[in-house]
Amino acid sequence: MSAPEHPALVPGRWFDGQSSKARPVVVSLRSTPQGPSLVLHPLSQPGGEPVVFAWKQVGWPEAWNERKPQPRVVIDLRDHGSVEIDAVTEWRAALAVAGERPGIAQRMQTRWPVLLGVTAAAIIGLTLFYRYGTPWAATRLTRFVPLGWETSVAENVLKQMDEGTLKPSELPKERQQQLQARFNTLVQQAPATLHRYAQYNPPLSLEFRSGMGANAFALPGGKIVMTDGIVKAAADKGLPDDALVGVLAHEIGHVVHRHTTRMVVEQGVLNVGLGLALGDVSAIISTGASVMTGLAYSRSHEREADCYAIALMRHTALPTAPMGQLLLAIARDEDNEDAQKKDPGKGQAAAASVPASGASTPDAARQRKTAQEIGSHPVWSLLSSHPDTVERATELERGHAPHCAKG
Amino acid sequence: MNTNQSSGGAAGPMSTFMPMNIDAHPLEFTGSGGEYFRVWIVNVLLSIVTLGIYTPWARRRTAQYFYSHTLVAGSPLEFTAQQRKMVMGFVLLMLLTIAYNLAANTGQDTAVGLFLLAGAALAPFIWASAMRFRLGATRWRGLRLQFTASWKEVYLASWPVFALALVWFGVFYGLQLLSPDLAQALETIEEEGKKQPMPSFTPAMGGLVLLGLVLSVLCVIRMEYNFKSLLVLKAQVGAEKGRWKPVYMDFVKVWMATVAVFILCVVGFSALIGILAGSSIALVASQSNRLGLWMFVVIIVSIIAGIFMLILASAPARAYREARMFQLMWNNIGVSHVARFKCHLKSGQYVWLRIKNMLLTLLTLGLYRPFARVSEYRMKCESVTLHVKGGVEQVTGAMVRQQQGGLGDALADAAGLDLIG
Repeated sequence: MSAPEHPALVPGRWFDGQSSKARPVVVSLRSTPQGPSLVLHPLSQPGGEPVVFAWKQVGWPEAWNERKPQPRVVIDLRDHGSVEIDAVTEWRAALAVAGERPGIAQRMQTRWPVLLGVTAAAIIGLTLFYRYGTPWAATRLTRFVPLGWETSVAENVLKQMDEGTLKPSELPKERQQQLQARFNTLVQQAPATLHRYAQYNPPLSLEFRSGMGANAFALPGGKIVMTDGIVKAAADKGLPDDALVGVLAHEIGHVVHRHTTRMVVEQGVLNVGLGLALGDVSAIISTGASVMTGLAYSRSHEREADCYAIALMRHTALPTAPMGQLLLAIARDEDNEDAQKKDPGKGQAAAASVPASGASTPDAARQRKTAQEIGSHPVWSLLSSHPDTVERATELERGHAPHCAKG
Repeated sequence: MNTNQSSGGAAGPMSTFMPMNIDAHPLEFTGSGGEYFRVWIVNVLLSIVTLGIYTPWARRRTAQYFYSHTLVAGSPLEFTAQQRKMVMGFVLLMLLTIAYNLAANTGQDTAVGLFLLAGAALAPFIWASAMRFRLGATRWRGLRLQFTASWKEVYLASWPVFALALVWFGVFYGLQLLSPDLAQALETIEEEGKKQPMPSFTPAMGGLVLLGLVLSVLCVIRMEYNFKSLLVLKAQVGAEKGRWKPVYMDFVKVWMATVAVFILCVVGFSALIGILAGSSIALVASQSNRLGLWMFVVIIVSIIAGIFMLILASAPARAYREARMFQLMWNNIGVSHVARFKCHLKSGQYVWLRIKNMLLTLLTLGLYRPFARVSEYRMKCESVTLHVKGGVEQVTGAMVRQQQGGLGDALADAAGLDLIG
């Protein structure tokens, strides 16, 4: 854009920063490579030299509304005070002639297509970042978390649960030893190639407890807990111990993928990022978005653990089908229980398993609502910490899942 | 609101020889909800795209929108904070937050305790640096406002915090004297986690706790009074200092009226909820024989509704307090001998506006927030009139250079002190 020979002169009032007295001035703009520069012509003293302010030395007021400019703008001359201008339309026209390049915010503010474009970019960017970026970053960051921290967290959690919902196991000693032996074999046979973190070799151990229904969960740092309920459920359905070994493989998957630690990092990013981005809209929206995304991460962790279980079972030449059947059977049992008697006691039991979520409670307890409602309402699948049970069971029975990388 | 409007108090020289005309200048707000909605949505979108890093730019744009549309005696206010400093403050705050979250999430109790203790000890400092930042970043007719309180004055003004701690120390000590069993019972509860039969609660003990509560409320009011008066008295436009008339009892009266409004609201609400809940329980009971489950659902729903209602019921009281406090402030402050403010805000109108805005914001999932903000700001802003003796032309002052850091503002933002409003 070429500057006209006589740049427009806009009248204004200059306050020098020393007193509140206004002095009449005329302001003109010159176009320079950096942007317009401002020339101040004082009118009060005859023969006063014009003062030139470079683009960087001026705080340029933003244009908020193209069609209806504000009645009066103030130009910030930093330590040289400020200039008030009443002829806002002429001022904006002069700026345009002098080659002002408005910032992205002002362009969005005054032009609808830019606003729509950025809206689209925001939606796509947000989806991509929280879908792929955060999990990726969490996987990387988790490398730097020491095993010692995980072990101390696990000890705390297990201690709290032992004081709360969990009781010592009532399984016979022989049975415990039997399962313990299978677990040890499985751990010994686990190939290092399946490990996501090459340097990460926590001591894996298995413990038995009763309470929390039919369930098993992994604590960070390698401790895996199995409840009497799930052992009984397998026995009741006449399923072989391979079903339980499959469940254990799934839990080992949680441990070697360090899902708890990754979840802590992911949840931190979610709370901070979404809180900052959406906090000004409403707390409901920002919390809702962070909870929903957290659940999506939890589902992807479950899938990852399933993939690990499938791969490990294949490696050790064990069938995954029994595990799938066990999963289905437990879900069905709970549906029946719910249908027979919906007493509040059960609701509390389900709530009690929530503190274990930090330790990635996998199989049963929280499935109840999903399994029951999923057929009728696809929305429930977004509100579940686990993928659809039927889908998981089918994949396990086939011993292959489409989402597993090396399946 | 307080900060940006106190800038209106620029005025003429202190000439007492000649009687001078007093001009009235009602404050004007020339912005609109629709326009601010676009400012706001742009901020939200850019914050999303930049993963929240845009926040300091968004804060600056918001402040500039409100400031530049507020006309004091015909001249707009200017928000001149340097973007670079606001960004630095924001980054520092983020690092602190991350450090705190790391400590909290990894169970390092000592570090968390230190953080909280440092936060409490630094609270007056944070408040003062926020005020320093805001006033220093506000300019009117080329003149900067200043907040000139020294750190010593700020910490001396926060004595009610320490008095509060003393009061509760005294209450616990007194309780132990009155009933030695109680301390033992509390200890056993802590150790065993089991409920022991509590020793009987005598009227004397009840009286002591009540006394403690009353004293703490008085401390909190004193705190508010001290900080507000310090802010006004140590604010300066050019060479003109702020003037402050309210006394402590004025504040106590406002608080008492607020408590009365709150009790009225709670009584009204509970009567309403009682009728609704009673009828719905009766309805459910008559229609269903599976009462067990339904009772459970009803209880859960009523707990959630109860919390929600408490927020809702306290809203009118909070709005009422804000309105009364605003009137008290803007009817009783001025700038040395040359400027006075008068405020004709109607408490009832303001409370009603706040309730309407809250409901609309809830209904629109937050999208109405910018409109709500503008309408509240407008009502408060336009209720104030500036009376100036001798014209607004000739306030002079030493050149004030802007050098405030932005951390104070970022911290104040985190503490919920809003820049606008």
